[in-house]
Amino acid sequence: MHDTLGFGDVLKRQFELAERNYELLKDRGIRAINVMGAIGSGKTLLIIRMAERLKAKGLKVGAIAGDVAGDDDYQRFKAAGLPAMSINTGDDCHLDAHRVGHALTDFPLSGVNVLFIENVGNLVCPADFPLGTEGDLVVISVTEGDDMVRKHPKIFAQTDVVAVNKIDLAEIVGVDPQKLVADYRRLNPHGRAVLTDAKSGRGVEELLAALGL
Amino acid sequence: MHEYSLAQALLEGLLAHLREHPAPGSIAAVHVRQGELLVLSTEALREAWRILTEGTVVAGSDLVVERVPAKVRCPGCGYLGPVRYLAEEGWHFAVPVLACPRCGGRAEVVEGRDLAIVGLSVDDATPPRPGVAA
Repeated sequence: MHDTLGFGDVLKRQFELAERNYELLKDRGIRAINVMGAIGSGKTLLIIRMAERLKAKGLKVGAIAGDVAGDDDYQRFKAAGLPAMSINTGDDCHLDAHRVGHALTDFPLSGVNVLFIENVGNLVCPADFPLGTEGDLVVISVTEGDDMVRKHPKIFAQTDVVAVNKIDLAEIVGVDPQKLVADYRRLNPHGRAVLTDAKSGRGVEELLAALGL
Repeated sequence: MHEYSLAQALLEGLLAHLREHPAPGSIAAVHVRQGELLVLSTEALREAWRILTEGTVVAGSDLVVERVPAKVRCPGCGYLGPVRYLAEEGWHFAVPVLACPRCGGRAEVVEGRDLAIVGLSVDDATPPRPGVAA
């Protein structure tokens, strides 16, 4: 016997909550970016560098730091003068729209023009959980090797802006950043890959342009 | 790594459904559709199901997972249908590419991101009466 059930998409709730976050951010005129990426790829510093440039243009930038534990990234955002908040997921390997929704309720959003939401360092799970941001960014760095895109094809196939960071170290670690870019272009013909070196700020302006900021 | 939380969500939905609509026998299998764009291990999902259902009315049920291919719509040329796949040497599976397979334009996903229970297989055997050894 086989019954047909009329219920059940368990991810639909996530999409509904993401939609709610999207509307809240839109109503307040805040442009938010979900910054995903590998562990240690330089997401935090890249956000700080983008924030510096946006601030110089007169925009107010906020940051939410998502981590399994600790407030290290939050402290770095604060030290950089950004209104910030930290989310500890405890065990979860990704942020989700529910957690971000609570954070948006508590965050001092007044006057904020751009909000970076730094996801948990992970190239697998964040791909399944939209947060309600208008843009997504995946950050990888040359120090992870030139096969990082090929090893995590799904997140790259679904994300339209990628930063290949730490290109100042490319020669030292023997990695050709163009190989990462070529792999990405095959998976996502519409995507934009930007080579960055967050330390010196190289490529940051181009990354902001790719994100439409 | 999020298979347990999603298995838990599937289970909660099913148990709520069964409270309203009790099954006319024991549930042998729970049929699930999993969109292929999800970064989700079917094997881990089935293992999570086995563990989480222990002690519930669906304990011992088999989670039967059907993978649903991605489908896109192209706002540019009006294409609606399956995606193109990229298969590279050494990959064990092909990866869906979300550009329009007809005109190459940017396409919107219309199917392939869902995880839903779509049906139950119920054993027709009359459930044993309380106090009667099976």
